[in-house]
Formats: sequence, structure tokens, C-alpha cells
Amino acid sequence: MRGMLSPYLGLHIPDGFLNLPISLITWAISLVLIVLALRQVQSEYQERTVPLMGVCAAFIFAAQMINFPIPGGTSGHLLGGTLAGILLGPWAGTLVVTVVFIVQAVLFQDGGLTVLGANIFNMGLIGTFLGYYLYRSVRSAVGFNTWRGMAAGTAVAAWVSVVVAAVICAFQLAVSGTVPINVALPSMLGWHVPIGIGEALITVAAVSYIWRTRAELLFDPPRKLRAAASRSYVSR
Amino acid sequence: MLLHIGVVRLDVDGHKVSPWHRLVPRTRVLCAGLVVFAIALTPNGRWLTWAVYAVALLSLVLLSRVTLPVLLRRLAVEMLFLGVVVLGALFRPGEDVLWQWGWLRVTSEGLMVLGSVALKGMLSLLMLNLLVITTSVPALLQALRELRMPALLVAILASMSRYIGVLLEEVTAMQRAAQSRNLMSHRRWQRLVIGNMIGALFLRTYDRGDRIHRAMLSRGYTGLIPVPNLPIPTRLDVVALTLMAVLLLLGQAIYLV
Repeated sequence: MRGMLSPYLGLHIPDGFLNLPISLITWAISLVLIVLALRQVQSEYQERTVPLMGVCAAFIFAAQMINFPIPGGTSGHLLGGTLAGILLGPWAGTLVVTVVFIVQAVLFQDGGLTVLGANIFNMGLIGTFLGYYLYRSVRSAVGFNTWRGMAAGTAVAAWVSVVVAAVICAFQLAVSGTVPINVALPSMLGWHVPIGIGEALITVAAVSYIWRTRAELLFDPPRKLRAAASRSYVSR
Repeated sequence: MLLHIGVVRLDVDGHKVSPWHRLVPRTRVLCAGLVVFAIALTPNGRWLTWAVYAVALLSLVLLSRVTLPVLLRRLAVEMLFLGVVVLGALFRPGEDVLWQWGWLRVTSEGLMVLGSVALKGMLSLLMLNLLVITTSVPALLQALRELRMPALLVAILASMSRYIGVLLEEVTAMQRAAQSRNLMSHRRWQRLVIGNMIGALFLRTYDRGDRIHRAMLSRGYTGLIPVPNLPIPTRLDVVALTLMAVLLLLGQAIYLV
């Protein structure tokens, strides 16, 4: 039970844990993010938006259901923010993660309604959007068209995004006066450093599978494949 | 953690007849949203406010005639997660030390925060569970649309909620396939297998998205989802919303006087 609970300790805050100012600020930022993401995705995918974003959100949701062992003894599951960013790009990835959070909060009471803004801020903006740009810069630095660069970018971004989201969450809880920072920060880091390692391992394994089989489906395919890239049967 | 996915169906009580069910979904969603925001954003330690809200909520639960075992089971699972997080609130620096063991100190302030946060979380969960148990997913989404959520976002939510079940089945099938081939026996292998599984799931999902898109096009989809006939709000909805607003303000007013 403990192992199944642990990933949720930080990144799905329930209702009542954050105070009014923090809730309002994060809600405002998240609303802007959602509107921008909707606009970007709509202009890129046109009328394919609804079916494609819908199934991809269901994909992240289903992937989060799979438990795997984490180095250090417990088990955890994928959070999927960085994976969504790498596969679908920053805007569509953020939108998909946001949709997953909305469905989890509204239909399954997993994460609160008043803190939905904060949850989207932590995992959508920090985890997926910034995670994507971190992955891209590391991948460019090591070698954009090589698997080594791809793996390095993926692993670094997956680990960093989980840990940074957890740290920000600890600060949100502390500023709200719910959990003092000297308790929140060590316990968040203690949980999420190993969870981040698990996240990085699984994300790299999943991305490597796609790299080997259908690399043209990645948002940033390696160059040798870019000419042949086609993202839809319809436009083919 | 969504332990209740396969266990409990959503909207088990959608068909019942009660004053709560006679409200149009939009009013129900609006009421629930207002209540949750009022409960959760009240500063810590305002016990009387929550007492007022708790009484109102409990009478609403009785009035709506939901199946209590279903409600309680969902609540119990969700409270478990809340409990783990909330424990961190207990240990905080403060003047009034109630109990000390090494560097662990429980102060009266910590206890107050713990009680407040747990109560807020529980009451919010009660309201949201009541809403979800009594309202079907399409009605819920339509209500969000009427409350000015962007149409595109609602359409994506609708399409996702339709395919969650399909993809969860696919995941179960893939896990069963891996187990039956003895791939899940070693811990290090297990992670690799699961990584591949997630990769394969993405490929299948992407292709499924394309198939769904073509199916939608062949049925005349132009980028807009047709709007069904909407239930018309009655006087009851106005009365319910007014009553709710008065109650919420009344709860807050206790500490203003």
C-alpha cells in the first residue's frame, strides 16, 4: 500500500492543502497556459485535435496505472509529464497532461478542485513544458541525431522535472502554512529522488522502443528520418 | 490512486428521484464548485464555518438519497491518501508543545492545522463524490460547456473519457501477455519490459487516434461536436443556488462579526 501511495504524496495535492493566494495565483497561471496550449494545438492539428488529444490523454492515464519496481525497494508508477512532452511536443504534451489532471480531479477525486491550478502548474508547466525544453537542450548538446543524445536528454529531463515539481510543491505547501518547510522539503525530496530515477528509467525504455521501431512519430525525429516523416494516414 | 476504477461505477445513483436530481446538471456543478471553493479556501482554524457547511452537506446527502455504502466506500479510499499527506502538518515549530520525542514535537498549532486540513479535505471530497455519483459523465461535461469551459477542451475531455476504458483494457492485456511469457519475473527485466510496453501502447494509441479521426470524418465531422437538447433550468434551480450562496456567506459571516 505504501508503495502505491508514495507517488501521490506530492504531485496530486488534495483540496484544502493550499491557501487562497497560492490557489488563485496558480489557477491564473494555469488558465493562461491552458488557453495558449489549446490555441497552439488547434492550429497545429486542426480537426484531428479532438480524437488525437483524447486518446493520448487516455494513454497517459493508462500508463500511470502500470506499477513497476523503483531502485530502493518500493514500487511506483509513471507520472508521464516528460514522456508526453517528448512524444507530442511542449504544447500538445502540456494539454494532454492538463486534461489528465482535470479528469482525475473531476471524475475520480484524485487531486482537488481548488488546487487543480497548482497541480497543473507543477506537472503541466514545470514537468512537461519546461521538461521538454530541458530535454531538447541536453539532446542538442550531446548529439541531436544520435541515440546517446536522445537517451541523455530523456533521462535528465525526466528526473529533473519530477524532482523540481516536488520541490515546488513542498514550497507551495509551506507557504500555505500546511506543512513547515523543514518537514516538507526533506520528505518530498526523500520520496521523489528515487521516484525520479524510476521515472527516468521507464521513460528512457519507452522512448527507446519508439526510437527503434517508429522514430518518425517522435515530435523531434532524428534528421535521417525527417524527410520521410508523416504524422497521419489522412495527410499521407 | 484510482483504486475504485473497476470497483465502483460512476453515476450509480443517476436515475434516482429527489430534489437534488431535479436540478439541471449545470446547477449541480455550480453548487458543488462553490461549496468546494468555500470549504477549501477558508483559513485554518475556523471550526464554526465548517460546522455550518458540514450540516448543510450532510442534509444534502440525505436529501439526494444516494446509496450511502457506495459514497462511504469511495470516501474511505480517498481519505487514505489524504491521511498520508496530512501527517506532515503535525510536526511544526510552535510555542505550545504537547508531546515531544527527540526532535519530533507535536504542538497545539500543528494539531490545529492537521484538524483543519483533514476536515477541509474530507468535506470537499464528500461534495465532489456526491456530484459524481449522481451525475452522468456526458451530463457533467455538457454542464462544464455551459459554464463557459472552452468547447475544444470539453470535446477532448469527452473523447478521453470514452477511451479510458479501452486503453485500460489494452494495458491489462499487455501485462497478462508479458506475465504469461514469464517476462515479469526479474526486477531489472521488469522495468525494461514495462518501458517497452508503454512504448508499444503509445504506438497503438497514435494509430488508434488516426483510425478514430477517419471514422469521425466518414460520419461528417467538421471540427464541431453537435450540441444536444439542453434541460431548461426551473425555479427550483434559482432557489437552490440562492440558498447555497446565502448559506456559504452565512458560514463566512460568523467570523466577521
